[in-house]
Amino acid sequence: MPLIGKKDSGKATRLFFATDVHGSERTYRKFLNAGKFYDAGVLVMGGDIIGKVAVPIIQEGAGRYRATLQGTTESIESEEALKGLMERLGMLGFYAKIMSEEEFRSLSADPAAVDALFHTLARQRLEAWIELAESRLAGTGIKCYVTGGNDDYPDVLEAIKASGAQSFIDCEGVVVPVDDLHAMISVGNSTPTPWKTPREVTDVELGRIIDGMIAKVTDMRNCVFNFHDPPKDSTLDTCPELDWNTDPPAPIVKAGQLVMHGAGSQSVRKAIETHQPLLGLHGHIHESAAAARIGRTLCVNPGSEYGEGRLRGVLVNLSDGKVDGYQMTSG
Amino acid sequence: MATATAIPEVFTRKASGLVRVMSPYSAFVYNILTMGLIFPWTYLWAPGALPGGKLVWGILLAMLIEIPIAFAYVWLSTALPRSGGDYVFESRVFGGGTAFTVVMSGYVIWILQWVALSGWLLSYLGFAPLFLGLGATMGNATLSAIGLWFTGSTGIIITSILNALIALVILCSGFKNYVRFQWVMWYVVLVAFGVMFAVLFFTPPAQFVERLNAFAAASGGGANFYQTAVDAVAAAGIDLNPPFSLIATLLVAPIAWTSLQWATYSAQQNGEIKDARSFKNQSIIIVGSLIVTGILLALLAAGLERLAGAQFLYVAGAGYWSLIPEATINGFYLWPNIIAVAVTASPIVVLLIGLGYVLNSHQIVHNCYIGMTRVMVAMSLDRLLPEWVSKVNERYHTPVNAHVAYFLASIPVILAYNLVPGWVGLTLGVTFACGYVFIITCLAGALLPYRAKDVYEASPGSKYTVNGLVALVFTLLGVAAFIMTAWVLAQQAFASAFLIWVVRLGAIAAVVAFLYPMRNHLATWLRGDKAPWLSALGMIGGGFGMAMVVAFLLAPSLGVLGNWNFADFPKGLWAQIIAFGIIVLSLVWYLLVKNQQKTRGINVDFAFKEIPPE
Repeated sequence: MPLIGKKDSGKATRLFFATDVHGSERTYRKFLNAGKFYDAGVLVMGGDIIGKVAVPIIQEGAGRYRATLQGTTESIESEEALKGLMERLGMLGFYAKIMSEEEFRSLSADPAAVDALFHTLARQRLEAWIELAESRLAGTGIKCYVTGGNDDYPDVLEAIKASGAQSFIDCEGVVVPVDDLHAMISVGNSTPTPWKTPREVTDVELGRIIDGMIAKVTDMRNCVFNFHDPPKDSTLDTCPELDWNTDPPAPIVKAGQLVMHGAGSQSVRKAIETHQPLLGLHGHIHESAAAARIGRTLCVNPGSEYGEGRLRGVLVNLSDGKVDGYQMTSG
Repeated sequence: MATATAIPEVFTRKASGLVRVMSPYSAFVYNILTMGLIFPWTYLWAPGALPGGKLVWGILLAMLIEIPIAFAYVWLSTALPRSGGDYVFESRVFGGGTAFTVVMSGYVIWILQWVALSGWLLSYLGFAPLFLGLGATMGNATLSAIGLWFTGSTGIIITSILNALIALVILCSGFKNYVRFQWVMWYVVLVAFGVMFAVLFFTPPAQFVERLNAFAAASGGGANFYQTAVDAVAAAGIDLNPPFSLIATLLVAPIAWTSLQWATYSAQQNGEIKDARSFKNQSIIIVGSLIVTGILLALLAAGLERLAGAQFLYVAGAGYWSLIPEATINGFYLWPNIIAVAVTASPIVVLLIGLGYVLNSHQIVHNCYIGMTRVMVAMSLDRLLPEWVSKVNERYHTPVNAHVAYFLASIPVILAYNLVPGWVGLTLGVTFACGYVFIITCLAGALLPYRAKDVYEASPGSKYTVNGLVALVFTLLGVAAFIMTAWVLAQQAFASAFLIWVVRLGAIAAVVAFLYPMRNHLATWLRGDKAPWLSALGMIGGGFGMAMVVAFLLAPSLGVLGNWNFADFPKGLWAQIIAFGIIVLSLVWYLLVKNQQKTRGINVDFAFKEIPPE
């Protein structure tokens, strides 16, 4: 069934955008299937691909393990239960590693080793994802563009470039075609956060990176900005203001209440206001799913619920110089 | 390089992510305030309509029936901790068409009536007793006259519109301002109830008649009010010492449910609640608030009975239900707070109780706006309401358009509520309407482990299982409660044998249609295999909840929706036409919008359909 009225005339393109999957196996697998499911010719993954939690599965004896999940320590008594646990961990975006009690103790005492473990597990999962994308998308004609986010380790993201994948394309730092008419530029960095994540830059520096990308665009009327950081005070960036001096960062409370603010980038906003692209695709602030217009530009942050295995995204129908329609999805 | 830290047996790395604003304690308070300790009907309606019914037991029964429903919401909230609550739960299990029709009709449209009710409560149960009480205790006729102004339609309309407008301004200015204000409301309400309980439990019953008479006289009523009222009610043929009735006690439960059914309302804000995936937190928020409120409401009934005596509660109920003017003080019904105010001679006590009722009344309109605007934003993002509805104000970070739209829509309802004869009778139609929303969500919970298996299995509640035979027994109990209620009450509602059998067979057909797709799972339960606790509780909660919804629809003693008068069609059935018309209207809206969006290349089903991961 044609879902876009103008598709039959060959003028419209359907793009599906999702972001901030944070290592969730289930969400990622849904993302790969979204092209066929939604009849979208272009998939865009907006960054923050890497997970945040690694769960040690500690071997206690032959076929017996324990693991802590969501604050509860679970005993695993069979290989089948172990498989089930691994699947649940994957769905939640957690990494898992089976280890002995001694290994766990040794790791716990060595933050650098834990960090190295994250790099290893993240790279393994990303490589597996690339392989899966290649097998699922090959021959479908569906293009899948991927960029990193502020949370992603640069060395792990190198896996995308190094893979030589045909269907899973690193789109950061280059102008990529969405279709014959539309092009997309992507920037995965963000302004500083209280967590000091791997790919943060100052707002001024972010502006310079964006300007560098914009200089390569020939037709702004049909350009898509895929910037992980949302525009400042756009309603796509609303979240509690945090105290950067505490660990972990704590929400700022005034008069007994949390203070909400726009955590987006002024440079991103300025770029959109100045250049008025067709579409802005953003993420970063999971709780601020929204769509807003800045001048002629439709800006969308579909939010993220990766921990529930739910793929939040947005379908956008693009034609010459305009967005025919868009729809938030929760697949 | 991101640094990494170890917490007990889990490694985390520092990464940006979701931060939620509402503490579990705030959500717990929110639910208690939403259930509205001030809702007064139980205390007049039940004694008036259900002679022989035991108030305290009826309230506790309603609480017990609500517990499995509340637990179903706990499971659903931890599995899908998103704002939008019922709309999200139902759409995931039953699809967008059902979710939109049910939630749009039962919530968004019907709760406009609750906005009007909030104004009425504020004026009639907040300001009027406050000024009447101050007038009586201070001997000031002007204050008493002001109190009476708040009981007239002009006073109520002006109060209602200002009430809605103030809530609109507070909520549009930022959710944090509301949460700040909520604490003021919470503590004032707690103090007011503490004071009221003290008055009800520590005032010597021997002084009740004397004090009530003095208050009535000071408020413009006649002398010797108590005896006059008792005589008038007895003369009207109302038994003031009816024998205990089990049926009447059972039917008190749906009335008490008008308050207690709101224990689950925090689910609308799940996306804003900290640690919303925590089973413990959600249990405290939803089930805990239910039990606390249920006990407080039962205590209030016990206190009233202790002070005024069971006989006088029938007198007060007769003033409300049988419209006996002598059993009202100058036309003013004898609500619990009026009785408490009447027996105290202290203006400070009157002020404290009055402020509690004023703020709890006002809080209701906030609930209406907060819950419904979130649902409207979710529907707009799903492209089922216009795009401008979901626009969030850049400065205040609130959905101002949705708030303004809901405020404007409430104005005609406020006017109708206070000017159209009989409209006020639809007040408890909200209980019917919201009741079916809650129950369909509860049934969605029963099916969640089978229709959204992966979502369920990843939730913290999935580890709780029960022997299938227990689940089967729960299912049978729920089915029995539903069918028995429909069976018995059908003959109270209809004289025509045809209609009676339509209702009875319809109830059986509904059960079969719901359970047939579950037949394979039911078979495994019969074998004693493990069943999800969620399914067991969803089945029993859904069945008993449906029984209460059916009671509202078929029991004449439970209000206008239960009065089926075909003789004067359509006038005699206007309440039912409105109730079912709203459902049809919502369904038609869904189909029209779906079709219209299709012409723009948008398939609204995509907002709800889950993509297969494999």
